[in-house]
Amino acid sequence: MQRHTKGYRMFWDERMETLKGKELAALQLKRLKRTVAQAAKVPFYRDLLGKASLAPGDIRTLADVAKIPFTGKKDLRGGYPFGFLAVPLKEVRRIHTTSGTTGKPTVVGYTKKDLANWAGLIARNLTMVGLAEGDVFQNMVNYGLFTGGLGFHYGAELMGLTVVPSATGNTKRQIEMIGDFGVTAIHCTPSYAMHLSEVAAAEGARIPTLRVGCFGAEPWSEATRAELERRLGVSAFDSYGLSEMYGPGVAMECGEKDGLHLWHDSYLVEIIDPATGETLGAGEKGEMVITPLVKEAMPLLRYRTGDITMLMDGDGCSCGRGQKISRILGRSDDMLVVRGINVFPSQIEHVLFSLPEVGEQFMVYLDRIHQLDEMTIEVEMNRQAFSGELRDLHRVQVKIATALQETLGIRTDVKLVEPGSLPRFEGKAKRVVDRRGVLF
Amino acid sequence: MFWDSKIETMEREELERLQYRLLKTLVYRLYSFSAFYHRRMEEAGVHPDDVKTLADVVKLPFMFKRDLRDNYPDKLFTATKEELVRYHVSSGTTGKPTVVGYTENDLEEWTVSLARALTSCGLGEKDVIQVSYGYGLFTGGLGLHYGAERIGATVIPTSVGGTERQIELMQDLGATAICCTPSYLLHLGEVAEKMGVSIRKDTKMRVGILGAEPWTAEMRNRIQDWLGIKAYDIYGTSELSGPLFTECTEQNGIHIWGDFALTEVVDPKTGEQVADGEKGELVMTILKKEALPIVRYRIGDITSMTREVCACGRTHPRIMRITGRVDDMLIIRGINVFPSMIEHTLMGIPEVGQHFQIVVDRKHELDTLLVRVELKPEAFSDKITELMKIKEMVGKRLESALTVHADVELAEPGSLPRFEGKAKRVTDRRKM
Repeated sequence: MQRHTKGYRMFWDERMETLKGKELAALQLKRLKRTVAQAAKVPFYRDLLGKASLAPGDIRTLADVAKIPFTGKKDLRGGYPFGFLAVPLKEVRRIHTTSGTTGKPTVVGYTKKDLANWAGLIARNLTMVGLAEGDVFQNMVNYGLFTGGLGFHYGAELMGLTVVPSATGNTKRQIEMIGDFGVTAIHCTPSYAMHLSEVAAAEGARIPTLRVGCFGAEPWSEATRAELERRLGVSAFDSYGLSEMYGPGVAMECGEKDGLHLWHDSYLVEIIDPATGETLGAGEKGEMVITPLVKEAMPLLRYRTGDITMLMDGDGCSCGRGQKISRILGRSDDMLVVRGINVFPSQIEHVLFSLPEVGEQFMVYLDRIHQLDEMTIEVEMNRQAFSGELRDLHRVQVKIATALQETLGIRTDVKLVEPGSLPRFEGKAKRVVDRRGVLF
Repeated sequence: MFWDSKIETMEREELERLQYRLLKTLVYRLYSFSAFYHRRMEEAGVHPDDVKTLADVVKLPFMFKRDLRDNYPDKLFTATKEELVRYHVSSGTTGKPTVVGYTENDLEEWTVSLARALTSCGLGEKDVIQVSYGYGLFTGGLGLHYGAERIGATVIPTSVGGTERQIELMQDLGATAICCTPSYLLHLGEVAEKMGVSIRKDTKMRVGILGAEPWTAEMRNRIQDWLGIKAYDIYGTSELSGPLFTECTEQNGIHIWGDFALTEVVDPKTGEQVADGEKGELVMTILKKEALPIVRYRIGDITSMTREVCACGRTHPRIMRITGRVDDMLIIRGINVFPSMIEHTLMGIPEVGQHFQIVVDRKHELDTLLVRVELKPEAFSDKITELMKIKEMVGKRLESALTVHADVELAEPGSLPRFEGKAKRVTDRRKM
């Protein structure tokens, strides 16, 4: 295993980070072939390739990847829990879960090699933004099943940074620790960073040691970046990833802050027209489709991320690394990001309609209060399941909120309303009203 | 099954020679590089050269929790900032929290200690281990996570909370072991039953690694009988690095790796060592800790130790189940009462459920002890006379065990508070 060495460095893995042109293509092809062979161990992919009359040997050039049908979030649901594993459970060292499209989460497995690859990718990112041994890194995202916490934790540890695994919550305490431990870098969602800066200002707390902010898991704007840099005294970098691709570590900005470097040796990227599936060229906006090239436990082929972005023109950057993607411009589906957690309206529907107390309609409202996302759900009651007593009303409210929290992993504010009082839709229901606007 | 059979079954004399060598190195290092220890040793009139045998450890001064608090956050550290790779913080119930720093070697030692421990509980790479201790600044989650990962098990880092989801994952992912507090496991078992899931029949769960709060042998029996698992006690505190040591499959004391820690049990009043098998306060010296050295640390936990070789073949000293804390000992009308004695008594009564509360108060200058007891559903009857009989019997049992009178209140099944983290069963209103 690669060991950390003291002091600042330009690259974590210079060869891989700067690989371009024919050399990169050759490596990608070799790894693509291996990935297709690995995926073929999974019944879902055996069927998929069979139906497309493809054998692993038919992948002869990188362009041949376009022959493989897409995999979507919904396909993963069918494989719950272990259907997408290409290795025996004994070789799986870690399990993370991420939001599914209904009540059950998506399960992601990792081999020992996967965990090492993942930590290495994060180490590349953190090195790219100027961190090295001697830096103190406070990781203010959820640990546990969410990949953001343990993902960054392992990468930072691999580099020999001092890790403060503070997780979320208790903002005053977080600020105290930044001061007490001389924290130089933080990782959190941009909205939490904004909240932290407000609390710090209100407390009159000084956090002069802070110089780097790694922000991700939700979309944010250039205006937010300028504001965060001013308020926290950091250089702010956008981080991108998704649990299906290990987690964070897929792409991140370098010092140029003009697009994110995606690790092409580990992820084969295509941009497609979400409606037609047609491949788009550099500079054209579309949905990002990723084929991971080094995943062992859970290989995926042409996975539709749902994220809208584009490959930027040119295959280089003044930092020496390869082709970048633009910052995420939106979603091709209806996925919501609430406090850094991905939520599908279908999950909400699934939970609500499995409860007898819930009537026919519901509405979801998203607001930003004190820089933090709040989700309010108005639910029509089912008359038959309701006694009319106030106490009963409260009980139903708690029951719904608890069920939603179990599945979504976030707290929601549930309001019960009279049957028939919510809007009815003739065509496609628009049950989500996002009133948050651009962050800050 | 051993993680490192050579070390774990080392002859006692050899182990003690190793301990002496490590202790001597530690004392020299601290005398030279730690302002705090240098001063403490000078105040105690002891020089590293005075440590000539392992028994000479008694010449070294004790260290207390307040020493950590007084030196907040990092004045006791003997590693440079660059050498630190982790901080953990234990939330103090009063005042400033305790900060623990780790070097790379500290994390490695911690992980190895747990790898040995989990292996001694019969866990290995085929197991799927659900870590339901809190992740983040609390040492329970990340500690067990690293240990479970080291033995090659599949780790599900569920952390705390979301109990129904935890039960679903336990079933769906075929978890074979869970690490959590005993009170959380009780809560989980109850929620599972409400969901129509029997942990005994509907899951592959076979081992529980339970700790972070004191619990009794009777509680173990109940958990094992109810859930159909083997429940093992785990011990450690954040100052020592975190959870570190467990029982082996013999369930007869917690193995304290001698190459890792030097264990003493002392009389809490005099500080003198007590004989093996006698109860006293646990004192630990962590022999290889780099960032935050711990020498003769008065943990405050009450236990006894044995140096007899365990039936499993491991030669390292064992401590018995923690029966209480020096500072949670309640003095009621001059009599020492440990909450664990109350639990021990209650759990021996078949009608009594898993949950209880202890309330101590002072009325008319007299201490009062109230024990609220939740009954099992099958013991909870409509007949007042039946309930009165049970109440009287519980009161008598408590009085004979504690030698002090306890008022008893019976509570409906499910009515007392449940805990996701550490249980808070004692309320001492006299202090308020």
